[in-house]
Amino acid sequence: MTMSSLKHFSNVFAVMSNEFRILRRNRSAILISLVVIPFFFTASLGAGRGGEGETYSVTAELPIAFIDKDLSEASGRLYETLVRSEDFNMLIQGYREEDALAILGKGGIYAAIVVPEGFEQRLSNNETGIIVLHVDDGSPGVDDAVISNVEASLEIFNPNPRMKQTDNVEFVGVEIVIKGASFSGFAVGLTITLTMVVVFATFYEIAGGMSRERETGTYAHLLVSPVSLGSIMIGKTLYDVCLNIMRTFIVLGLAVYVYGASIHANLLSLVLSVLFIAILTMGFGFLVSSFGVGVRAVVIIEFFLILFLFAFSGFFIDKELLRGISQTIATVLPWSYGIDVLKRTILIGQPLMSLTYQLQIITISIILFYGVAYLLLRLSRERLVK
Amino acid sequence: MSEITIATKELTKNFGNFTAVDGVNLEIPKGQLFGLLGPNGAGKTTLVRMLCTLLEPSEGTAEIAGYDIVKDASEVRKRIGVVSDGVSLYQDLTIEENLKLFSTLYDLPNSMAEDRMQNLLEMFNFKEKSKRLVGKLSSGWIKKAMIIAALIHDPKILFLDEVTSGLDPQSALALREFTRKLCDEGVTVIWTTHYMTEPEIICDKVGIIFEGRLIQIGTPKELRSNVSKQSVLEIETPNLAKSTLKKIEEVGNICKVTYDDPILKTSCIDEGDKQIEESVTKILLDSGARITAINTKEPTLEEAFISLTGGEEEIDRFMEKAHQKE
Repeated sequence: MTMSSLKHFSNVFAVMSNEFRILRRNRSAILISLVVIPFFFTASLGAGRGGEGETYSVTAELPIAFIDKDLSEASGRLYETLVRSEDFNMLIQGYREEDALAILGKGGIYAAIVVPEGFEQRLSNNETGIIVLHVDDGSPGVDDAVISNVEASLEIFNPNPRMKQTDNVEFVGVEIVIKGASFSGFAVGLTITLTMVVVFATFYEIAGGMSRERETGTYAHLLVSPVSLGSIMIGKTLYDVCLNIMRTFIVLGLAVYVYGASIHANLLSLVLSVLFIAILTMGFGFLVSSFGVGVRAVVIIEFFLILFLFAFSGFFIDKELLRGISQTIATVLPWSYGIDVLKRTILIGQPLMSLTYQLQIITISIILFYGVAYLLLRLSRERLVK
Repeated sequence: MSEITIATKELTKNFGNFTAVDGVNLEIPKGQLFGLLGPNGAGKTTLVRMLCTLLEPSEGTAEIAGYDIVKDASEVRKRIGVVSDGVSLYQDLTIEENLKLFSTLYDLPNSMAEDRMQNLLEMFNFKEKSKRLVGKLSSGWIKKAMIIAALIHDPKILFLDEVTSGLDPQSALALREFTRKLCDEGVTVIWTTHYMTEPEIICDKVGIIFEGRLIQIGTPKELRSNVSKQSVLEIETPNLAKSTLKKIEEVGNICKVTYDDPILKTSCIDEGDKQIEESVTKILLDSGARITAINTKEPTLEEAFISLTGGEEEIDRFMEKAHQKE
């Protein structure tokens, strides 16, 4: 029994030692498992959300409209309370409510706090004061942060210091009426799911498919036939467009019928939004494949692409909430705009035609990816033949 | 003069500092079966890849059926069929599906494609296997499938690169016969191989390629006779005395004498052939040796190849270099 246990232990030790021996000889495994993954996640999260001890609020630098219709002492003190909290350093006054709502979610402002007429009067009458908070449904992460920070500020809000001194008036509190943010929980998850499914599958289908064709020699067979490189790329793109349409319907079907997601978008806008992300990813896939990488390398690159999207694209953390270098990366990462379009389409049914800025950036990126990939594939024809 | 289908002028391919093909000049007429013979790494496949537009030449030019391989690459591609290790069929498709794909790419009308596909499948006994996935076929059948795919568009020029390697002897024989027939019908074939016996059997002309240079072109017979002036005199004579062997070694024009009882082999310079035979026979008879058979052997293409490439040591050195490069 003891001998058998010892033998078992010795085998365990042998297997473990062998694993370390293999790891020692595999520099890329060491690099990925011990350096890249821990450093990347920690650094990207740190860069995105700030370090311990930093006085940093995610909403501090977001432009938010403060519309004071009451123009009273109490509403003035509410403004001061919000500003002093350091959660709202960019509280902008002077907007009319309708103007603020018109630009809400389009990059100008991310929320609008409206103090209606009679705010002070209600407080004086020992009634609950009411403020209206308009949030941007296209950025649910921003909404949550703004709402919770306004709530936190209201807890320390005192509309009139004299009220406490005299004790004549009891301050009941202020209620926030939130407008917007009416989507179901899974609708938010749906944008993440769709992006994940589309990017993951599409990149592998294109970059992996091209690498596999190169490695098995079928790419060389196409090259010695009269088919042009443009036809190969367009053919593969159309194939993947079809797959992505099917995938979108499968994901939507599950989301709506199984998980009860409520989607505000019309189906065509939604499918087109998905296709923008898909074609962008296809272009990137062609670009990667033009460097003659193998299937294994494609899997590693895909892993990093997904990591990048997690950290910097608004895929997981709304890009408005990122800071510093993370926000800079998010700004130049074309997928950020695709994800933004998808969120706005799914969550608030914003028409595609009103998202021209994002669509222009995606389109330019697609043209750039396809153009460079085409040139590289042409120039590196020899390298790409097995 | 017959129509030239393949013509190259100083065709060269460099990979960095390494010259894989070095100034090749070739003229191959229509319907010729041209063998490209050389060891692995000699530059055969690189030359073929340039001719079938997969690689661009570093220097020189080449024309296939009158079209420049760089400027008119797409015209060249319409006229060629390629069977090579780096050019494969889709493993996840059946042979029929592969053929349909390539007949579409070659713009064959449906009815013509179907007829041609059925004929080829029948010719290669592929009918029963035509609905099998290519990946599930044995290597011999995959090779046949590759040949069918290369022929689907009725190419005027066919590149068969090491096409018999991995084939069983019967299939290799059938393929050689089939290729011969294709050439008789006017198809020009470039057949690359490192098997020395193959070109001797089927090729009209053979080019010997070594270290990227085309060092000799000719019919197999011309190569044998031009290259090697030596012939081997083989005499069956048992129990030969050492003193007799010494006398034979002293005969003029004999390069090498070996004796492995009962076979006496003397390599002779061609011109003195008959004289040497007489001198050696006389020495043997004078010393009382018994002669049971006399044969004169012509050099084989393999021997001619070895002689042309600088001997076995030179080939060994080259092979070592080629392995290091790999």
